[in-house]
Amino acid sequence: MSFIKTTWFKCIVCLLSIAVISGASLSILNNVLAVSPEMRTARAIKKIYGEEKEYSVVLDIDSNDDTKNAPIEYEGVGSVNKVYEVGSDILFQTTGYQGYKNGTITLWIQTSQTDNTYSINKVILEKYEKQTLMSKLSGDFYGGFKLVDATEAYNNGELFTATEKTADNYNPVSGATYSATAAANAVNCVFKYLGVER
Amino acid sequence: MKTDFKKIAKDGIISSNPTLKLVLGTCPTLALTTAAMNGIGMGLAVSFVLIFSNVIISLLRKAIPKEVRIPAFILIIATFVTIVRLALDYFLPDIYESLGLYLPLIVVNCIILARAESFASKNGVLASAADGLFMGLGFTLALTLMGAVREILGAGAIFGHKLWDFSIGFFSSSAGAFFTYAMFIALFALITDKISEKTKLKKIKAEEKDFCGETKEIA
Repeated sequence: MSFIKTTWFKCIVCLLSIAVISGASLSILNNVLAVSPEMRTARAIKKIYGEEKEYSVVLDIDSNDDTKNAPIEYEGVGSVNKVYEVGSDILFQTTGYQGYKNGTITLWIQTSQTDNTYSINKVILEKYEKQTLMSKLSGDFYGGFKLVDATEAYNNGELFTATEKTADNYNPVSGATYSATAAANAVNCVFKYLGVER
Repeated sequence: MKTDFKKIAKDGIISSNPTLKLVLGTCPTLALTTAAMNGIGMGLAVSFVLIFSNVIISLLRKAIPKEVRIPAFILIIATFVTIVRLALDYFLPDIYESLGLYLPLIVVNCIILARAESFASKNGVLASAADGLFMGLGFTLALTLMGAVREILGAGAIFGHKLWDFSIGFFSSSAGAFFTYAMFIALFALITDKISEKTKLKKIKAEEKDFCGETKEIA
């Protein structure tokens, strides 16, 4: 039993004790302070609308309901992660591919419906991966996606591109073309969803 | 030994101000001072971690073998940083988002490890808590003032409230952060030097007075 008095044993016991106590306290706190997917959605809705609103889930990858938690993938473009009906609006969370270093950009996109026309009202950044020049994508950039007849655009085969200029789709970003492409792809997922799924 | 709380307070806020005198924690200082609110958020988060990690390290200072003190300190600091992250995400999600990557990076913030190593591991619990509090306060004040200046000049706003339409974009940029930081360090050094010169002069005058008084008495 002489090893109990050795320095290496004391060191291991000390570090292990701190790690175990820290781990136990953090797991308790994590249970108390964990933010549920529902809370995150309510926060996102509050951020977009400026107030809390009732919503119904059409698709949510974090949902426990197996009929509603499968993301819709559009190869090479992006994926639709969440779709909520908020009053007459449809709120999307989509992830656009082909960003810098094959990274992604995830956006919240608020669309509203008038008759059979869907228009994009607001685009807000949620998160991004591997992008380094996100500061170049300002509020004006996201504002460039607004007020577009999304269904018409889809029917005409028009999608947002980061580098080409068309009459309505002028949205280039100098110096952050890859990130702008990923953001445009995230918005294009909404076009595709509205054209195919609805 | 009696704890000199006045000295600890003076050291934390002025003489050994972590940001403006010791130039520690430069990374969050430069990156997060685009707005005054960010400065307050980061400052308070660091203060919380400083106070509680100092207290725990001081309590365990005799139990932690010196060979593993640094990993032990980092384990303790990381625990409190995780608590801050969980609490901010739950209660103040806007600040949590604005601090972003710099929040988990508090674990490797030089100020916290430096105070753990140089103060908390050698002093009592109360003194260590006070050291954490005043060092955190010094850091928070520096970050908030820098954030306020950069927000006013770079965005024409303060605490998110628009003041005027005039703004100088340079102050919101990285170069503007370095420039503002340099100006603050220079100004702080100028003010503290002037104060210490005045204090020295006062001391010399007082000593001269005492000396003259003594010589008169002898005569």
